[in-house]
Amino acid sequence: MKYHVFTRNRSGDDMIHAGTVQADSDRLARIYAHRTYDEEDWDFMGVVREEDLLEVDEEPISSRGVA
Amino acid sequence: MSADAESRWPAVARDYVQAIADTKLLLGQRYGEWMLKGPNLEDDISGASNGQDEIGQVRQLFRLLEKQGVDRDWLETDREPAEYANAQPLDEEAEAWPTFMVQVALADRAAWLLLDAIQHEDFTGMVQKMGEDEYFHLEHHDARLETLAVDQPEAVEAALERYFPGILAFIGPATHGAGEDPLVEAGFTDRAVAEIRGAFREHYVDLFAGTDVTVPALTDDVPDPDEWDEKRRRSGDGHIDRSVADQLQGVTNREYVIE
Repeated sequence: MKYHVFTRNRSGDDMIHAGTVQADSDRLARIYAHRTYDEEDWDFMGVVREEDLLEVDEEPISSRGVA
Repeated sequence: MSADAESRWPAVARDYVQAIADTKLLLGQRYGEWMLKGPNLEDDISGASNGQDEIGQVRQLFRLLEKQGVDRDWLETDREPAEYANAQPLDEEAEAWPTFMVQVALADRAAWLLLDAIQHEDFTGMVQKMGEDEYFHLEHHDARLETLAVDQPEAVEAALERYFPGILAFIGPATHGAGEDPLVEAGFTDRAVAEIRGAFREHYVDLFAGTDVTVPALTDDVPDPDEWDEKRRRSGDGHIDRSVADQLQGVTNREYVIE
C-alpha cells in the first residue's frame, strides 16, 4: 500500500507533504516514514493511506441538484 | 588504561558487556550486508539506519570496556574470529529475507534486554539513549515479522527454530534464576537471565498469536548449563568467518587509517 507522509515543524503550522512510503501495514508505514523522513526535528509526523484521501472534484455543487 | 579497584566491574560483567558489544558489532555487519538487498527501498533505509545506530552503540560500549582495562587494539583490530563473543546466530549471513529478519530481530531484541537489565552507574543515561534507537529497530522487526508471519509462516517458523537455541544461549542458561544469577548477585544487573528468557519468548508468542507460526518452547537444557561458555555466551566453539573479521577490522584498508 502507498502511504503519504505529512509533517510540520511547529505546533500550529500547516502540515507539509514530505513524501510517500510503500508499506504492508500501518505499523510498518509509521516506521518507514520516520526512518526515511526524519531529517528534521518535526513537531508532528503522520501517515495517511492513499486510499483514504478524499478527492475534491471540480464538479459544480449546483449540478448535483443542491438548491 | 586500568580501572581503579572501586570502579572495576567484576570479570563476569566485563564478559557480559563484551558479548553485548560484539553482538551489536555483528548486527551492524549483517544490516550492512543487507542494506541494498531488502525487498524495497524503505526496508533498505530502515536497515541502514539500524546498522548505523548499532555501530554508534558499539563505540560507546568499547569505550567503557577500554576503561575497564580491555585493550583497545584488541577490541577493534587485533582479534581472532573465535575471540568475538557475538550471539551465535550472527556467525552466518542469512540467505533469504525472512531468515534475515528473524535473525536480526531475535539478536537485536535479546541484546537490548540484556543491556536494559544493567543498573550500573556507568550506563546511566547511555542505556536510555540507546533505548530511543532500539525502539525503532524493534518496531521495524516486529512490524515486518507480523506481515511475514501471514505471508510466509513456514519460513518464519523455520528461522525461529534455527536461531532460537543460539539466542537463548546468548541470553544465558535457565539455571541463572533469581538468587542464582552472578550478575544480579554482583549488583550489575537487576533482572535474572531466567526471567529475561521468559520475557523474550513471551514477546514472540504474543507477536505471532493468531498466525500459523509456533514459537519454540523454552527448555532448561538449551543451552546445556554444563557446556555453556560464560565468556562467549554460547555453547560450542563456532565463530564468524575470517573474512568477516577482516571486514570488521578494516584489514584491506588499513593503510588508509587516519592516525
